[in-house]
Amino acid sequence: MLELELKVNGERYAVRAEPRKLLSDVLREDCRLTGTHVGCEHGVCGACTVLVDGRPSRACLIYAVQMQGHDVTTIEAVAKDGELSPLQQALHEAHGLQCGFCTAGIVMTFEAYLKENPHPTEEEVREVLSGNLCRCTGYHNIVRAILRASGATA
Amino acid sequence: MQRHKFRHIGAPLARKEDLRFLTGHGRYVEDIEIPGALHACFVRSPHPHARIKSIKTEAARKLKGVVAIYTGKDLAQWTAPLRMAPPIEGLLPVEMTTLPIDKVRFHGDPVACVIAQSRYLAEDAAERVEVDYEPLPAVANLAQAVSENSPKVDESLPSNVLSVQRFSTGEVEKQKREAFKVVECEFHQSRLTHLPIETRGLVAVWDEGRQHLTVHIGNQVPHPLRSQVAARMRLSESQVTIVSPDVGGGFGQKIALYREELAVCAAARELKRPVRWREDRMENLMAASHAREDSCRTRAAVTKEGKLLGLELEILEDFGAYCFYPANYLARVVAMIFTGPYKVRDYAFEVKVALTNKCGNGPMRAPMAITSWLAEGTMDAIARELELDPLEVRRANMVETRELPYSMPTGEVIADITPRETLEAAVKAMDHKGFRERQAKAREEGRYPGIGFCSVVESTTYGSKFYKSAGIPGSGHEAAWLRIEPSGAVNASVGLGATGQGYETAFAQVVADGLGVDPSQVRIQMGNTEVAPYGMGSRGARGGTAGGTAIFLAARDANEKVLAIAAKMLGFDSAEGLHLVDGRVEREILGERVKTDITLAQIARTAYLDPTALPAGMAPGLDFSRTYDPPPMTYSNACHACEVEVDAETGALKIIRYVVAEDCGQVLNPIVVEGQQHGAIAMGLSGALLEHMCYDEDGNNITGSLADYLVATSTDLPNFEVIPMHTPSRGNPVGTKGMAEGGVMGAVGVIMSAVNDALAPFGVVADRQPLSPAYLRSLLRGRQL
Repeated sequence: MLELELKVNGERYAVRAEPRKLLSDVLREDCRLTGTHVGCEHGVCGACTVLVDGRPSRACLIYAVQMQGHDVTTIEAVAKDGELSPLQQALHEAHGLQCGFCTAGIVMTFEAYLKENPHPTEEEVREVLSGNLCRCTGYHNIVRAILRASGATA
Repeated sequence: MQRHKFRHIGAPLARKEDLRFLTGHGRYVEDIEIPGALHACFVRSPHPHARIKSIKTEAARKLKGVVAIYTGKDLAQWTAPLRMAPPIEGLLPVEMTTLPIDKVRFHGDPVACVIAQSRYLAEDAAERVEVDYEPLPAVANLAQAVSENSPKVDESLPSNVLSVQRFSTGEVEKQKREAFKVVECEFHQSRLTHLPIETRGLVAVWDEGRQHLTVHIGNQVPHPLRSQVAARMRLSESQVTIVSPDVGGGFGQKIALYREELAVCAAARELKRPVRWREDRMENLMAASHAREDSCRTRAAVTKEGKLLGLELEILEDFGAYCFYPANYLARVVAMIFTGPYKVRDYAFEVKVALTNKCGNGPMRAPMAITSWLAEGTMDAIARELELDPLEVRRANMVETRELPYSMPTGEVIADITPRETLEAAVKAMDHKGFRERQAKAREEGRYPGIGFCSVVESTTYGSKFYKSAGIPGSGHEAAWLRIEPSGAVNASVGLGATGQGYETAFAQVVADGLGVDPSQVRIQMGNTEVAPYGMGSRGARGGTAGGTAIFLAARDANEKVLAIAAKMLGFDSAEGLHLVDGRVEREILGERVKTDITLAQIARTAYLDPTALPAGMAPGLDFSRTYDPPPMTYSNACHACEVEVDAETGALKIIRYVVAEDCGQVLNPIVVEGQQHGAIAMGLSGALLEHMCYDEDGNNITGSLADYLVATSTDLPNFEVIPMHTPSRGNPVGTKGMAEGGVMGAVGVIMSAVNDALAPFGVVADRQPLSPAYLRSLLRGRQL
């Protein structure tokens, strides 16, 4: 067991965990931040995407021990004071989620991406979104929501 | 209530449930913290078929933190086996224990359950369990399953053929003899799996004092699951509670009580400690539930003009190793509704279901997915062989609106559908004529676009009478309650299980109209069997029609009582001319609506806290419950159309455009309905283009990761153009018809129609899925123009 200190959503968490414990499991079990979901545990589905120092990363492919000295941001930190971010709001309005299980990963991926590329084309959105599996929506409304959030015409 | 008077039903309300999902505050099974819960991990068979000679657990037990290891023998003492023996002609009874005892039947079959203090430890220990197997020859495919001298998957059966059902009406043989031509075609649908992004999982909590089991589990049918858990655990239904909070997708996978789930429940009771389990993705792919894998053949006896005289259908389905459902039922529904919108009198089918050494099958979003492909593929084949226009062949055989209600040769009655209208709308939207011109030009340039059409008649809502007449056990009814609280707050519930369908929003709209309040005042409470009434749960596309009608009727009952109380409060003898609108009573005076001072809150206060002020003889409170058994079958319809382009050099297939003209009756919420259509089409296309649960020739599963089992991503799928053409059903008071599976049926069929149109110049026909580049290239090899 290791004593770890993690910085998640700007707060410090002291955690005791084995070196092999995944970031996704530490976030969910030790930090009780259960908004980060685990869908495949082999880096394909994208459901567990969080931001590490602002960059989208798969929490199921990272050991928590690697995160010391880094800033981790999870879905719980996206809405500020109960107000949805423009991307969250657009997903709500465009019905860009159904069961909601993959949603956190998509929000985290595009919160970062839209900062990097504020006005993507539909093709660019689809290319980036291809790293997140959604079994409910067929992606159509997610793409529409992201374009709407980016200010492009959907 | 007249349909066009709905204020809230049909309004595009954004979903109530979104807020918690968008902010990371959903409550899926794994998000529920149960202090002190132990973790289960299953030891699984590396062989497709083998005898279990011994299971040695000593080394695993020595690991610190391991609490128990249970095998099939242990669990057999504490749980009842699953016997699947419905009184269905042509279906043999089968039985399975909670975990296998003597032999394993597929690669991934669970043989032991390890319980430890963490999931990591449980997995470590599972690796140290030593199982001595004696491998047996496996039944790896359908051809082997039905061949003589095949090894037997289930030794209690005479062969691997579990069910054979035949039906014939009219004179098909005579029609075939006398026909201008008999057109024959084949269809092969690959083995698929549901792949909800949330895998299976549960937490079982045994309360020793109350002798009560609470099961937190993602499930589509909470009450039937409770009955199953109780029966298999030898408990009464009063001793089991199912809590199914937010569920991360189901698609049919979360209906049955699986063996792992029952083992975890038994372990929790045995250990008197909470036990939880979440399968990993490999387990979900290899061992949860599979679907499809049908090989079909149709024979159409036709006139020179392509008119159907007689039809035959043969289905052979690979059901895998275990039956969590009556094995005949999925394929039988296909055979019963195969003719869809097409007219024919003389029809015969044979449906055969065989066991193999693969993961067991179950219903997956549109269990009858192949139906429309069979019918439309047959239409396309007739057109091809008779050199007719495929649209003209469809038109010549399609039922006209004036001929409805129309009785299919199996006796299934279609009514209130609009197949001709949706077909013509799709044809127009695709600019069919213009496309043919573009196609001719493209072919000259060595490009191969194709266009396809697929009409769908979707059986959405099965009433109890359908089950009875189809010889399938089950009920089609649904249950709802509605309670107006003393403050006027409205709670309602229904026995469905939400997996993303937006019930909390759409049913709030239904209650709003039925009762006369704003949807924001209504809270739909679901997913807990202590709260929800005993309904049959979510499967098929029954939620809107079975559940929606039940909850609507409960709301109408509430409206009647509320207005009777209002009449008394206003000093009237009867409630005639009174209405509740957005929580306030209005009165009709000379055809005008006039607001009164009476609100629902005042009426509720009277009903609960001042019962002596109620009309004479009226019982206090505002509590209503209803059950509703829908008509034998409710159908909706659609026509899917798509344009593709096949790259003849590489076999790559691109979808250029996708259109669906749909009539699913009165919609409850168009945003939700359109989302369901998108999702269904996506699931159909994903299966048709990419998905293939693959076993090698020895029966080993070689698709145990998402790098091997491919599903559609955002770059594989097009945008979907939906043309709403909804006309109300007369079969229920709201006018809904249901939808959410037809999209799969349409997508599976239309992509084949379009691809075969594209391939026409090469004289080849694609008759199997997935339409991988390798498969398309194999058709084109040596066929270059």
